[in-house]
Amino acid sequence: MICPWKELLSVLPQWLRGQLAAYAEELQEIRLRCGQPPELVLGKGSRWLSKTVTQEDISFCVNTASRYSPWSAATVSQGYITAPGGHRIGLCGEAVIKDGELTGMRTVHSLCIRVARDFPGLARRVHFRGQAMLILGAPGWGKTTLLRDVCRSVAEEETVAVVDQRQELFPPGFPTGKRMDILYGCPKKQGIEIVLRTMGPNCIAVDEITASEDCQALLHAFGCGVRLIATAHAAGMSDFRQRSVYAPLRESRLFDTFLILDRDKSFHLEEIYP
Amino acid sequence: MSYKWIGAILIVGSCGGFGISLAVQRKREEAMLAQLCGILDNMLWELPFQLTPLPELLRHTAEKQKGNLGALLWGLAEQLDRQVLPDVLSCMEAALSDTILHFPRVNQLLLQLGKSLGRFDLSGQLKGLSALREQCGQQLTELKADRDTKLRSYRILGLCAGAALVILLV
Repeated sequence: MICPWKELLSVLPQWLRGQLAAYAEELQEIRLRCGQPPELVLGKGSRWLSKTVTQEDISFCVNTASRYSPWSAATVSQGYITAPGGHRIGLCGEAVIKDGELTGMRTVHSLCIRVARDFPGLARRVHFRGQAMLILGAPGWGKTTLLRDVCRSVAEEETVAVVDQRQELFPPGFPTGKRMDILYGCPKKQGIEIVLRTMGPNCIAVDEITASEDCQALLHAFGCGVRLIATAHAAGMSDFRQRSVYAPLRESRLFDTFLILDRDKSFHLEEIYP
Repeated sequence: MSYKWIGAILIVGSCGGFGISLAVQRKREEAMLAQLCGILDNMLWELPFQLTPLPELLRHTAEKQKGNLGALLWGLAEQLDRQVLPDVLSCMEAALSDTILHFPRVNQLLLQLGKSLGRFDLSGQLKGLSALREQCGQQLTELKADRDTKLRSYRILGLCAGAALVILLV
């Protein structure tokens, strides 16, 4: 298991760093709320620390994660920053809206820091033979971790272009695959078009399909003869069938291989051939 | 008698020198404000173009600057890299305590710069910087407006004060 622990500690207030060492193995999330003690989300339940989080602590985390330049992180308008090491920091506070669109945050009161981990070899027993694979799971069940290793495994045999919009899939320090090209920070729709045009991939991988335009971009790529690997929020096949945003994917029968994650982070493979 | 005249000349000279040094200080302040305006202009051009993170932006800017302001920008970039202080303002305060600038007006503007940096949206960040640039420009214009009169006054005041002292003492 690889966890960029040093990078995680560097974005936390100093008083909190020493208290985390005991939870290094099982820590999944750190939730910091102004005026409340920090909540550590562990493999089994939560633990609350004693000291209260101040506005200064929150500012410290945001500033160190963005190198004191939150405006330079394009993702602030989507409510998160990716810290060094690929740890995702969700932001909550007072939003700034301009012309009906969220442009940034005026002040941040709560943070949800998700600890990035890598398990090389996790997808060893997955053999991707089909045309398109979809990894399904609820938030926090390990979709990104599994996708990362599936990408590495496929990249042993064929060229994989990864559109890593959030810079979480392959942050610096995480091993990549032999035949892997990674486009960082680009929105999925544009990213898929770019790698399709310029990198000549056999396979394109994207994390978290959340919008219908992502689905359209995947359909377009598939029409160009590229294999696809993606993840989607759904707690199983029945949940996937009910979500309207995925309707174009279901109707087109794009995905024929499903990796379905469970709450305990185990997964099973379902192959559906027409 | 000759001692008295030597003393008188020294008094007039030192008072005149004091007046001249005041005038020089004022010229230096003007130059520093102009330099700060240039720094802010550089930041305003660079930010929307490349979204450069602050430590790099400060280093790029510092490379083109001479004197204490250049040293201050390097110091601020170092403070940011240390990742110990909670926000840019605290880092600016720390950098200012390591660099002597002599001019309260410039110090105040730099603290305001520290306060305005670190916004969450680029347009807000640019607006904050533009407002500060305007303020800096305004202060520079004010300084320049009565520069010649004030500089002459400082010199004459110094010389007259010296002469007055001589008359009183001799």
